[in-house]
Amino acid sequence: MGENKLEMKSAGKKIWNFVLTILAPVVVVALWYFVTNTGIIRQTILPSPQKVMGTLASLWESGKLWTDMSISFIRVLRGFALGAILGVLIGGLMGFSAVMNRVLSTMVNILRPIPMLAWIPIFILWLGIGEKSKTAVIFIGSFWSVLLNTIQGIQSTDPKLLEVARVLEKNHRTLIFKVYLPSALPSIFTGMRLGIGAAWTCVVGAEMIAATSGIGYMIHYARELAQPARVYAGVICIGLVGVLIDKGLLFLQHKLLHWAYVD
Amino acid sequence: MSEKIHLNVNHVSKTFRVNKGELQVLDDINFQVEQGEFISIVGTSGCGKSTLLRMVIGLEHPTQGEVCLWDRVVSKPSVDCGMVFQEARLFPWLTVQENIEFGITRDFSKEEKKQIVQQHIDLVGLKGFEKALPKQLSGGMQQRVSIARSLVNKPDILLLDEPFGALDALTRINMQNEVLKLWEHEKKTMVLVTHDIDEAIFLSDRIVVLSARPGRLMDIITVELPRPRERSSDDFLRIRAKIFKYLTSHAEEGVNLDQYL
Repeated sequence: MGENKLEMKSAGKKIWNFVLTILAPVVVVALWYFVTNTGIIRQTILPSPQKVMGTLASLWESGKLWTDMSISFIRVLRGFALGAILGVLIGGLMGFSAVMNRVLSTMVNILRPIPMLAWIPIFILWLGIGEKSKTAVIFIGSFWSVLLNTIQGIQSTDPKLLEVARVLEKNHRTLIFKVYLPSALPSIFTGMRLGIGAAWTCVVGAEMIAATSGIGYMIHYARELAQPARVYAGVICIGLVGVLIDKGLLFLQHKLLHWAYVD
Repeated sequence: MSEKIHLNVNHVSKTFRVNKGELQVLDDINFQVEQGEFISIVGTSGCGKSTLLRMVIGLEHPTQGEVCLWDRVVSKPSVDCGMVFQEARLFPWLTVQENIEFGITRDFSKEEKKQIVQQHIDLVGLKGFEKALPKQLSGGMQQRVSIARSLVNKPDILLLDEPFGALDALTRINMQNEVLKLWEHEKKTMVLVTHDIDEAIFLSDRIVVLSARPGRLMDIITVELPRPRERSSDDFLRIRAKIFKYLTSHAEEGVNLDQYL
């Protein structure tokens, strides 16, 4: 009986939590529906939700949405892979070696505050307007958070565990791969989650400037053709995919670092 | 005689530089430990007893004097010398089995490693917990894993730095029995640092008593009671009272030891 009550309570709590999670989006869509369908806001500025949904559906059916999304997604993966690999490598170097940290930290501090938008013309100068410059922009977008979190993760390795390894006469290789790296992994993962989020933001920016494909291009082009519903459909897709990517990485994080989540 | 001396603490002093000043923690400590002997070092907190142990393993170095294992001056850690810290210091991402396997530094085949690990899991009574993560274990069990990890390289001397200090009273007594069994079974030289007087008397052949900071050697007490020792026997209590008196007396400059003897 008591157990039953407890179960009901937890089920009730689950429903309540779900309601809380979707509350804000539902309110926003309701408001959106209200202001567009009553004519408070003109449809040329903000099309109604049902119109945007219709556009989304037709874009999906024509396969156009899928093509553009996958092109953008592959760009993100390419740039992010580069950013994550270099972020972990250079971050590792700076985390392990105080000398390397000193040598590189000034450069990092100067380059890091430069906004992605400022990099775009530079990369176009260096790499042209093709795929390379887009990859470079996405790379920059994801690089910093991976770098900084890797450094932080390595530097916060428990000195007591390092002492254990010393007492056991472990070599540098073991120290790096069996102590520093696993201990930094949660932090590196956080950096990657932030990094891929930033990369996804960057691809849209990069595609708005010089591209003939991709979700950013699609939005840009739709605006030029005065198709607001398409613009909003594209924007919503970007948001949803962003959530999916983050959830996916979170899932991966729980799988790979399950030791950190065991009660 | 000298070939049986396993550990030689030879007139060791240790001074730490703290900010701009100097802090002397140990002053002219001198004693020898024979092979297979169980020695305890007791003293109030801050008397430098842990520092002394850290010098034996080579994590710290004496300011004066030297520490020798088998006549070799200790300069850096060696797997011939095992160490158990106060905290279990297990790797949270490794299972019990993997944590113990991490201890193996010498080259063994995969099969041999597996065998050694299983042997030590059995030795410390953790059968059935091979796949558990440190988080899922109690403090006492974590310390068992830590002890197993320190034994897999078959060190001939084991250093224990207040290993049961963080455990509850019953678990502590339990672990003391286990360590005693281990010592009788493995016949290793053991050096235990503790502030628990009962623990020291229960386990040791001899007890090194240090004064408060800077730690000076006050006495080395030989415990000649048959094992397993009865914690409430008269002899036990007499030794206990003696050590207690040492530790509660203020260790002024040039303390007069005669008044205690």
